[in-house]
Amino acid sequence: MRQKLLLFFCFGLFLISSRTFAQKTNVEGTVQNQQGEAIPSASVKIKGTSNGVLTDDDGKFKITAEMGNTLLITSVGYQDMSVVINSKHLAIVLIAANNQLTDVVVTAGGITRKKIELGAAQTIVAGEQITQAKSVNIAGGLQDKVAGLQIQGTTGGVNPNYRIILRGNRSLTGNNEALIVLDNVIVPNEVLGNLNPEDVASINVLQGAGAAAIYGSKASNGAIIVTTKKGRAGNTAIKVSQTETIESVAYFPKMQTKYGQGGSAYGYDENGYPTFSNIENQSYGPPFDGSTVDLGEPLEDGSQQTITYTGNDSRKDFWDKGLTSQTDFSLTSGDAVSTFYMSGQYASVKGTTPKDKFNRASLRINGSRKIYQDKVQATYSLGFTQNNYDITTQTADIYNNMLNMPSDVDITRYANWQTDPFANPNGYYNPWYLNPYWELDNYRQHSRNSYLVGNVQVTYKPLQWLEFTARQGITHRNYSDKTWNGSFTYSEYAKTISSNSKSDISAAVSDGEFYSTNLLSDLFFQSKFKANDFSFNILGGGQWNQDEYKGINVSASPLVVPDLYNVSNLVGIPGASEGNYKARTMGFYGDFRVGYKEWLFLHMTGRNDWTSILPVNTRSFFYPSADVSFIATSALDFLKNSNVIHFLKIRGGVSKVGEVNLPGTYGTYQLQRTYSQQAGFPYGDLPGFGLDNRIVSDQLKPEMTRQYELGFDLNFFPRDIITTSFTYYHSTTADQTVSTGVSYASGGSSYLTNVGKTMSQGIETELKVNPIRNEDWDVSFGLNYTYLDNKVIDIDGDLINQIALASYSDGSGSYAKAGYAFPVIMGLDYYRDDEGHVIVDAETGLPTKNPTLQVLGNAVAKHRLGLDFNVNFKGITLAGLFEYRGGYDMYFGGGNTYDWAGTGIRTTIFNRGRFVFPNSVYEDPNNPGTYIKNTNITITDGNGNSGYWTDDLNRTVSSNYVTSGAFWKLRELSLSYDVPQSFLRKSRAIKKMTISLQGRNLFIWLPKTNLYTDPEYSEVSSTSNGVGITGISSAPPSRYYGGTISFTF
Amino acid sequence: MKKFIYISLLSCAVALGFSSCQKYLNINDNPNSATSSTPELMLPQALTTTASLENTYNTMGAQLVGYMANAGGYGGFGSNVTYSYGNGDYQGCWTSSYDNLTDYQWIINNTNDNLDYSFYNGAAKIMKAMIFQQLVDTYNDVPYTDAFKETENLTPKYDDAKVVYDSIYALLDDALAEINKGQTDLADNDASNVQDLGDNDVLFGGDMDNWKRLANSLKLRVALRANGILTFNNSYDNVGFLTEDALVNPGYQVANGKQNPLYNSWGYAYDGSTANRAWMICTFVSSFYDGYKLFDPRGYAIFNSFDDDDYATNQLGYESNSVESAPSAGSWINLIEDKKNNVGVLKGASAGMPIMTVAESDFMQAEAALIGGLGVDGDVKTHFNDGILASFKYLYTFGDGTTSDDWDAEADYNHYLDTNSTSYLVNFDLATTTSEKLEAIITQKYIALNMVNSDQSWNDFRRTTFPKITNGSTNGKLTFASLQSTSSRKDKLPSRILYPTTELSYNNDNMPKDINQFTSKIFWDPE
Repeated sequence: MRQKLLLFFCFGLFLISSRTFAQKTNVEGTVQNQQGEAIPSASVKIKGTSNGVLTDDDGKFKITAEMGNTLLITSVGYQDMSVVINSKHLAIVLIAANNQLTDVVVTAGGITRKKIELGAAQTIVAGEQITQAKSVNIAGGLQDKVAGLQIQGTTGGVNPNYRIILRGNRSLTGNNEALIVLDNVIVPNEVLGNLNPEDVASINVLQGAGAAAIYGSKASNGAIIVTTKKGRAGNTAIKVSQTETIESVAYFPKMQTKYGQGGSAYGYDENGYPTFSNIENQSYGPPFDGSTVDLGEPLEDGSQQTITYTGNDSRKDFWDKGLTSQTDFSLTSGDAVSTFYMSGQYASVKGTTPKDKFNRASLRINGSRKIYQDKVQATYSLGFTQNNYDITTQTADIYNNMLNMPSDVDITRYANWQTDPFANPNGYYNPWYLNPYWELDNYRQHSRNSYLVGNVQVTYKPLQWLEFTARQGITHRNYSDKTWNGSFTYSEYAKTISSNSKSDISAAVSDGEFYSTNLLSDLFFQSKFKANDFSFNILGGGQWNQDEYKGINVSASPLVVPDLYNVSNLVGIPGASEGNYKARTMGFYGDFRVGYKEWLFLHMTGRNDWTSILPVNTRSFFYPSADVSFIATSALDFLKNSNVIHFLKIRGGVSKVGEVNLPGTYGTYQLQRTYSQQAGFPYGDLPGFGLDNRIVSDQLKPEMTRQYELGFDLNFFPRDIITTSFTYYHSTTADQTVSTGVSYASGGSSYLTNVGKTMSQGIETELKVNPIRNEDWDVSFGLNYTYLDNKVIDIDGDLINQIALASYSDGSGSYAKAGYAFPVIMGLDYYRDDEGHVIVDAETGLPTKNPTLQVLGNAVAKHRLGLDFNVNFKGITLAGLFEYRGGYDMYFGGGNTYDWAGTGIRTTIFNRGRFVFPNSVYEDPNNPGTYIKNTNITITDGNGNSGYWTDDLNRTVSSNYVTSGAFWKLRELSLSYDVPQSFLRKSRAIKKMTISLQGRNLFIWLPKTNLYTDPEYSEVSSTSNGVGITGISSAPPSRYYGGTISFTF
Repeated sequence: MKKFIYISLLSCAVALGFSSCQKYLNINDNPNSATSSTPELMLPQALTTTASLENTYNTMGAQLVGYMANAGGYGGFGSNVTYSYGNGDYQGCWTSSYDNLTDYQWIINNTNDNLDYSFYNGAAKIMKAMIFQQLVDTYNDVPYTDAFKETENLTPKYDDAKVVYDSIYALLDDALAEINKGQTDLADNDASNVQDLGDNDVLFGGDMDNWKRLANSLKLRVALRANGILTFNNSYDNVGFLTEDALVNPGYQVANGKQNPLYNSWGYAYDGSTANRAWMICTFVSSFYDGYKLFDPRGYAIFNSFDDDDYATNQLGYESNSVESAPSAGSWINLIEDKKNNVGVLKGASAGMPIMTVAESDFMQAEAALIGGLGVDGDVKTHFNDGILASFKYLYTFGDGTTSDDWDAEADYNHYLDTNSTSYLVNFDLATTTSEKLEAIITQKYIALNMVNSDQSWNDFRRTTFPKITNGSTNGKLTFASLQSTSSRKDKLPSRILYPTTELSYNNDNMPKDINQFTSKIFWDPE
């Protein structure tokens, strides 16, 4: 068979290149499924005629037809396929239709299971769905496509970060992100951003903790199982594609363009307006009047810069149009004993922040080979990625600077700081902020990552019902960076003229390197057999996991030779640090599945883990799970032949999983109190040590999550025109590992302990409608809706009832607070009466600030809705995806700085005049405790840079910057066109050619109250649980649009 | 069933593989940080951290007692100028104190009842007492007896401030006894193994008599402040009071994190850039130098551009664009000498950091001699004049400890006495009443501690109301209260700061409630 296939394959290639004639000829072919198995009894018809044949048992057929005719191949359980005859020998692959009874999925451990057996919610996303809008990052391509899966793009920049959460947050301060599994190997989340999306065959999202038995406790947050493409027997294809994507800034905080620089600190002019100032950065000056004014102090040679005093807002023009190019290449091939897939991708990104660049090159090679008859099979999967970043470290500073800048200043005019004396730091008009273009050139970071992710696996099947698998996986990351800033020495004139605010900048450089290696070894057996009406599937095995990290960093400042950024080029003593971490886990697990008559399935798992990072007495812990699947449409007679209900599965499961959530790298070394050199030590040969501030506990243990879920999958009408799925889940996580602050008087400042409990419950639903599917049309709509109720039940009784997950220095931020949603936004608010009206002072009209932190909003979306459509007409496909998130709030941390600067739109809502504080009351002097609606007591200080808007009463009251986080987004839109075969035939070699246009994050619709930004962005890193606060620490949100051309040979 | 037997056997085989797992997992020893230490390693670090802590207290004191005011070119001073404090204001005084105390307590716990380490034990107790007094003077009631018990007590109760004062006085006696025990053993016992502090003593270089002198001066500081409220034994070790300035210097140098902390805050950063210029000289303190109240040549040593056109001061809370900016080298570096090795208060990155100066010790003796009954003898005026001279000497000494003919302390001291001979604040003979004498002593102490140990002046002001201010005045030369003060008090000043956020969050049950920054007082505050 093997030789026959090979021969046939060569023959086929040969024929492609030979001349053919438009005359009746005998065409032979085979029809196979995607797994390379023959499909017997498939119907093969010449389109437009009644001529047709059926395939034989080997999937072969012979038919007499003309070259250029179209064959229509149909078979139960597969999608219809049209093939233009361009050869005497055709190899046809049918794609399985969505058939619940026979579909198999790759589930935990790389084990394939029939969908009907599964008792817990899972969602499969095909590779094509992920690459539809050509996101460079897989996480971006997966957004909103799975119910219960929340992917939040937390930053902008050249390689955005994503936070990936299934079923809400469980751990208060530990890890809540889903486990990422790539070809059966657990990989760190960042690998997802460094994987070629084109390599993905499918992604299986396990919403619940069901994968934990196989992957260990890290899967307690659910798992995302990524399977890369494999070669197929008898099918060789080469695919080449090119994508160009433009990125542009999509959203800015709303800014005022009425008033320019100055303020009441400079006095008032004859019209009663605060006086203009040529150097002030606060925009509390007089209204713009189009006059010509001085900007900045005169230069040393006496020349003076002037500008037109008009609001133009050039801030947006500072950000560039980004450009992303992706070049892809892949080759698949295979024969009876081996399969082969290789691919390469080069992506280069020019970001919206000027001069920021990123590129990524990836290579992959996957394959398998049968070695000893069908008993031994070896498979391998190996991917290598290298990326390079060249970015500025001052994005946040530049953005902040930009928000502070008066709107009459045209920032783009200061780009040439080397040659333009007004752009040079010496002459730059603003003494308090650096010219952002100077910062772009002088604060840089070059970093490089290389990732090697791979695994090798051998399976041995000594008996028909017994199989052993040994697998070794590795993820290796190597990182290096150089981060530096240039120096600037101001002229004496510049230092003194600008109110002494310009101060010399010294150069600094730091160099760091680290590697991390994660090893994962699996050894398990699997046994499948049937006995009467029962089918058994038993699996048992062990797993060994080792994570290792080593990093070194050296820094130097100030430097001697300008522009030589090398740590040896310094004055003084270099800074140096080192970190080494190693953790091990081993697990022993069993997985037992029994089926009855193909309609009732029971699945039970158990696993015991031992971990190196816990105390000896708690390092071993056991966790079990069970689930049941009942196929009503197979079991119940009255449903068996229903024309309406085509498929109904009812499922449910319970699980308990422990996750070790100690802080720090891999959670290592948290059990002993440490000492370190502090206060500048060592000084020369004198060492000095002090106690570190973490008080340790010898009683740490894993966090335990108990979860149950119930759901059903229900499909209507033959061919499953409507498919639905519904899941309700409820989970609680107890014994939270929390590093709580403690009184410094106790002898430390933090204490790691197990306290607290969180709860998450929700609904995940999916609906897909495929009303039209015929030769010309394929139309489908999908909807997924997630409801999430995520709460902190308690933390530690009275002692600690809230934990700051991420907060600003004034205490406002994202908190876990007992009895509230998890997390909540907390911050300062005004004193309010019972109806929520702000209480103002009866004399001054000024609101009164409540000095204790209040809960100001819920930070996690309660409702998430994804709407997608896909319309295909004769090779033209229009696909789109909308997303809605609602039922939550966001806090804009940058509001306080831009109100300070007077550039924020809020500062002009009363035209800088006196005003009555909106919705306010004051205390009735005759009846203390009762309040009178305020209609006439005005705040006098609505103007100037020492007035209300810059006052703590406005800026430090965080509730002023909390707004609804709701949004609608057009997340993806793509239009693609498959060039017709009739056209391609002339070129011979090209089997398929597709041209597409696509866009991502094209539009966002926000409530009017949101003056700030896209609520999806986050001030904190994607690994922090402190969501809900947005800010200005990364480049503004972007939209992407571009086109792709791809060829398959 | 045969299949199930196979499977059971397989399971057992896998399970066996796990029986030897403990060794595989015992890899959690920390390769990054030490997990044990010694008194020799702890003491130098703890003393150096105390020096940084004194800088933290100095900033608070300097802003509250009229040494510093907000500078032009900056805004957003908030509670610094309104006194409408939150729990986060100045909380470093609390957190850094206890953080530092934890290390001293470690030394005490690890050297108690160990004759060989009696010097380490004594030194740690002296420092513990000193920092606890600073805590009480700032916060009144604080955790003392329950403190440092780690997991045994994560929410330590607060002790009455008077009890803490009594305890630290006893602790100082205990420390003196420990040191004497060690010294006796060294002298009498040929086989003595009492460990010298040696180079690990970055304060006195191992001179235990100096340690005892510091303990004596600290005992006097406790007794003076609690005078009339608490009574003590008022006996002192024979070595007497401080004879040289107590300066911590572990080998400060121009390098990141290794500079003299005061210089690092207000002078130059290690990379040569100027440090904090959001604060400048307060008009009030300037009036004791610029001739408005007194003329003082020490102004040349301390201030930038003193007595010339570029000299700039501001009144606290005056925020207007007419406020001048701090000079580009900061307000407290004179440009006459090399900024790296200077006289004045910012003597350079390598200079020692004052813990307590002889001047303060002298003025305390003057006050004790004036009021009597505190075990201090001698002529009040002699102590008073010694204090002024000691201040001249401290301020006229260069960072490297040298002196120069250009900065002749004796001569300028005499010049100072002559120039201001009509003022009873300088000419002690003119002070006739006890109140005037006390005013002269405390005012001279106020001048001597300007940007040296500023918090001590804040304590003295609250206790004695000297230097004298004019309540409610808006003239910056007559009061140092902020123009934006929200204080309900007559003097428009706060009476204390609030407990820190960490206590509010993590020790709320024990933390004293209803603390108000205008009405709550430290126990020795008579106002």
